[in-house]
Amino acid sequence: MSTTAVLHSEWIKIRSVRASFGSLIAIFAVTLAVTLLVFPTVGQAEADNADAEPLFDAFYALNFAQIAAISFGATAVSSEYLNGALRISLSAVPNRGLFYAAKTAIVAAATLAAGLATSFATFLVGQAFMGEYTIGLSQPGALRACIGGGIYLALMALFAAGLTALLRSAVAVLSILIPFILIVSFVVGDVAAGAAEYLPDRAGQQVLHQDPVGALGPWTGLAVTAVWAAAALLAGWWAVRRRDA
Amino acid sequence: MTSIDISNLTKEYGTTRAVDRLTFTVEPGRVTGFLGPNGAGKSTTMRLALGLDRPTSGSATIGGRPYATIEEPLRHVGALLDAQAAHGSRTARNHLSALAVSNRIPARRVDEVLEETGLASVAGRRIKTFSLGMRQRLGIAAALLGDPQVVLLDEPSNGLDPEGIIWIRELLRRLARDGRTVLVSSHLMNETASFADHIVVLGRGRLLADTPMQDFLDAHSHARVRVRTTDPARLRAVLVRKGYEVAQSDDGRWTVDGAQAAEIGALAATEGIPIMELADEQASLEQAYLTLTADDTEFTAASPTTAQEA
Repeated sequence: MSTTAVLHSEWIKIRSVRASFGSLIAIFAVTLAVTLLVFPTVGQAEADNADAEPLFDAFYALNFAQIAAISFGATAVSSEYLNGALRISLSAVPNRGLFYAAKTAIVAAATLAAGLATSFATFLVGQAFMGEYTIGLSQPGALRACIGGGIYLALMALFAAGLTALLRSAVAVLSILIPFILIVSFVVGDVAAGAAEYLPDRAGQQVLHQDPVGALGPWTGLAVTAVWAAAALLAGWWAVRRRDA
Repeated sequence: MTSIDISNLTKEYGTTRAVDRLTFTVEPGRVTGFLGPNGAGKSTTMRLALGLDRPTSGSATIGGRPYATIEEPLRHVGALLDAQAAHGSRTARNHLSALAVSNRIPARRVDEVLEETGLASVAGRRIKTFSLGMRQRLGIAAALLGDPQVVLLDEPSNGLDPEGIIWIRELLRRLARDGRTVLVSSHLMNETASFADHIVVLGRGRLLADTPMQDFLDAHSHARVRVRTTDPARLRAVLVRKGYEVAQSDDGRWTVDGAQAAEIGALAATEGIPIMELADEQASLEQAYLTLTADDTEFTAASPTTAQEA
């Protein structure tokens, strides 16, 4: 089997399903829309607060990007579990390792590209409205945060993709992950600060801080998210390899 | 060699044995009908042959190799398992393109199979707008994409209109004439008899028959005569004396098993018994098949009347 051919095929599959491709576009589009809503209106007022953190606050809109990234990772995989579509896919590419790796690689590449574009765009566009509070890419940690933010989005998409392969349902994964990201992580974060640092979203977002506090640095935090994503992908691989299609 | 070899194949789901020590070979150059009641294990056998499910024991190979080890398998084996499996959000063309690209099948084949299955005009429409018949055609298009030597179709005429059924029948016969290996499942005997050269019959996962179609026809469509007379008592007496088995049916007709109309006519004429109606009746093929599978039907209606769909 030709790896390039299988990658190309996976890309066609993602592009041709509205839910997946829409989520991929939404990573960028929603973030930019939120940026344009928030920064011209309340950006400067927020920056005036005593606890303002110019660099981390610049990535406020990534909260929305990560929801889209998770949706993309989940739907890109779940389209295989609708009405036995997986059987068609595996009759074309019976090597399950190649099939899973190609799908993972396409999800990773697509979200990394969309994530980096989003991360840089939200930073640069948002800062254009910050007046006297404006920071640039030359700000210490800014370039690292932009690149790290893109990688973070890709990792969250892969985390969702792996979980979806394990649970075989985007609905299940989204109804676990999205409330988790929106609520649980915050609540747990406030109650048990130590352990919560290692949650996938908390850890990965360390890269967006100029001077991260706590046990994890910017890149080690991202590495922790990468471990979560890798664990989810491995669990997904176990399911794809073992189960009847 | 492009035969499908099923050897001592067994598949258990929990405690249910869906396929039970099954052994048969599907040879090239002919259409093999794969028959059995619902739940007999036909689809499971096909999934096992395609390496989608793992056998509990035994093996299934195509051209001597497990399916999963075939390079670019769509170029060698084409399968339609479930017409509903294509993702509704894709267009027919995108669905086929994704498959073609993965096996490096030239893009023109996508247009060729769309044309061949009569879907060219709806190639750009989303699959969710398709009727069952159109999905069935799309599934067949996908199976033919790589111009494969081996074709497996699970109930391909399901949902097709009469014209579609004739089309699929001719398609199957043509594929076999080309020397390809063609395995087609169905739960309808009459339909299968219209295209199959050979049949393999399953019941509860076990092999019930593996025989040329003609042999099955000869063995199971025995002669029977239907006769109506104004003097049933005398006719009956004469026939019984001659050793025929006579039975009266509900509508006042008599049926004589194992006889030809010509014999009965001649007999009645010599005896001077007036005959109002006399006809040869072939015992229904479907009936023979139902008898064969009767003990091995997984799901039966409570009433003993058998629903015949064809």
